[in-house]
Amino acid sequence: MMVKKITLLGHKDHGKSTLIGNMLILTNRVNPAKLKEAERTSEQLGKRFEPGFILDSFHEEREGGLTIDTTRTEKIPHKDIAFEFIDVPGHEELIKNMMSGASQADIAVLIVSAKADEGIRDQTKRHLFIAKMLGIRKLVVAVNKMDLVAYKEEKFDAIKKHMAKFIENMGFTRGNVYFVPISAYMKDNLVKKSSNMKWYSGRPLIDLLYMNAKEEYTKKANAELRVLLQGFIDHTGTVMAGKIVSGKMRLGDKVRIWPSGFGSSISRIFVKGANVKAAKLGTNVAVALRDKFNSDVRGSVMADDENSPKLRKVVKALIFVTRPTLANMKIKFNNIEIGCNSLKVLKHIDTTTGERKEGNRLKALDAIEADIELERKLPFESYERTEELGRFLLYSRGEFAGIGIVE
Amino acid sequence: MIVQDVRKLEEKSIFIIREAKMKFKNIAALWSMGKDSTAMLAVARKAFLGKVPFPVVHIDNGIDFPETYEFRKRLAEKWNLDLILGKTKIKHVSWGLACCGETKTIALKEVMKEYKFDALMMAIRRDEHWIRAKERVFSPRNENFRWDYKNQPAELWDDYSSKLDAKGHIRVHPMLDWNEVDIWSYVQKEHIPVVPLYYSRNGYRYRSLGCTHCTVALKSNAKNIDDIIKELEGTETDERSGRSQDKEKEYVMQKLRALGYM
Repeated sequence: MMVKKITLLGHKDHGKSTLIGNMLILTNRVNPAKLKEAERTSEQLGKRFEPGFILDSFHEEREGGLTIDTTRTEKIPHKDIAFEFIDVPGHEELIKNMMSGASQADIAVLIVSAKADEGIRDQTKRHLFIAKMLGIRKLVVAVNKMDLVAYKEEKFDAIKKHMAKFIENMGFTRGNVYFVPISAYMKDNLVKKSSNMKWYSGRPLIDLLYMNAKEEYTKKANAELRVLLQGFIDHTGTVMAGKIVSGKMRLGDKVRIWPSGFGSSISRIFVKGANVKAAKLGTNVAVALRDKFNSDVRGSVMADDENSPKLRKVVKALIFVTRPTLANMKIKFNNIEIGCNSLKVLKHIDTTTGERKEGNRLKALDAIEADIELERKLPFESYERTEELGRFLLYSRGEFAGIGIVE
Repeated sequence: MIVQDVRKLEEKSIFIIREAKMKFKNIAALWSMGKDSTAMLAVARKAFLGKVPFPVVHIDNGIDFPETYEFRKRLAEKWNLDLILGKTKIKHVSWGLACCGETKTIALKEVMKEYKFDALMMAIRRDEHWIRAKERVFSPRNENFRWDYKNQPAELWDDYSSKLDAKGHIRVHPMLDWNEVDIWSYVQKEHIPVVPLYYSRNGYRYRSLGCTHCTVALKSNAKNIDDIIKELEGTETDERSGRSQDKEKEYVMQKLRALGYM
């Protein structure tokens, strides 16, 4: 069965874990022992029953009532597909954990609390900005805690209006964005239409996820060949392992290895140990070339001979920074580390408004547009063209410091 | 339980296993002879043209089932495995936390030190236990094997980062996305040999295999893989319910893992 991964996004305490907990309970994915344990724990901590306790497992998470690190749930079958939820922390200081979880998702559910003192927060918008950078194209905005605002339509409408504009500015396609008023705790509009909000004419959350999931995003199967090379897997250094991230390959195809520029043609292809004539997009292959390539291939890119990526030493990128400094910066591209000579901030982007401003000051949890000069040339492509060759991770003094995408 | 697309799972695991082998100087895989670690070795063979390209470590309490030892001998020969045995010094009454937490971890530490492994591949799955659902694919352990679960490294897209503590090692988890039923589906499709104790004999079978002190059989008439998959689809108990070590305390697994348990 096809499994679609859904990440929850949004400010802390707006109900991410509660929503997942109740989705699992409503779809009978929680065994009685687990449910009982969550009930017992709630009681011991002197709290009302918290469905999120089905997920949060660290001792510290239950005591503190927060999600520290990302987790996955039991799969929820719905018609011909299944959903797997990824819970992520909402706290600012745990953003690297949120990014780790969200980067694996196909769809995002953005939670916004309708409660008077909660509402749309900076973190709500920042999560959305990050989701877009991570490559998430599909979104459901769940306006939560409707029970605490007497299920009033105006409350939902106000948030929807404000968010719709921001979401469009972020570059999401309108057809991939849905809005739904819910109460995660009271289970309104999760799997069944709630009678508390008759004014809402749309479908419950689970149907919106399904509709969004069914709309297939087709990936560059006919584009030029790109293979991320991992290294040689035999002792003689002739068979190299890699993953096809664009196009397809056949025996005899003329290819080049970048950044070296070495050219040859494909003489053997192995897929899962078997000798084959061709391999398609997404396959992990082992490949031998007609001519012997004498240097290491780890981190290199094999590409179609006629249409190769361009080598760049200076790359212009949109960067989201998780630390206030980028001293001793390195990037990770295609699973290898490369040092950076310099970073020049061109524009400053407010992740809570999407606004571009002048200025070169670096601040954690903000975005910049910058020119990065690398220690050596790399075969980048735009994120739009080939995601895998248009994105990188940033490290400062050995610590994760953000992500970048190439425009 | 839903069977996922095992071909998709297999692709991702191949990528991870290759990445780990390329990245680390000296990696080994832990093999308990259970279905998960055996399936992991089967994937590794596919990734590396038919041969498991790293040593395979069994931490042996000396109290595994005779069928398990027989299986170890047979498959190690058939797949030409480079097998390393880490022997524990089992106490007279060893059980639960004391047994798995102490003796096995001590033996593993000794093996890691002796062979200077910088990475250890293990077949843990997210659906086995809540705490395992929180794991990274590349998960650092410090010198004392401690897992700093409150500060795990970022792991985005298919970049497997590792903050390598010079004295520690990295746990590599290529099977994290697989579920119990997916493993069975894969074992069936690929004709992967498994210890016969998984199949019902006299109305009982083992769902999870540990050592003889801690593992109990469950009532089952599942005599083949089809039966097992059918049984799992209707089950409400956890896979590791027959493993007493997990049950002693609510957070015992968290404690065990933080201390370096596998």
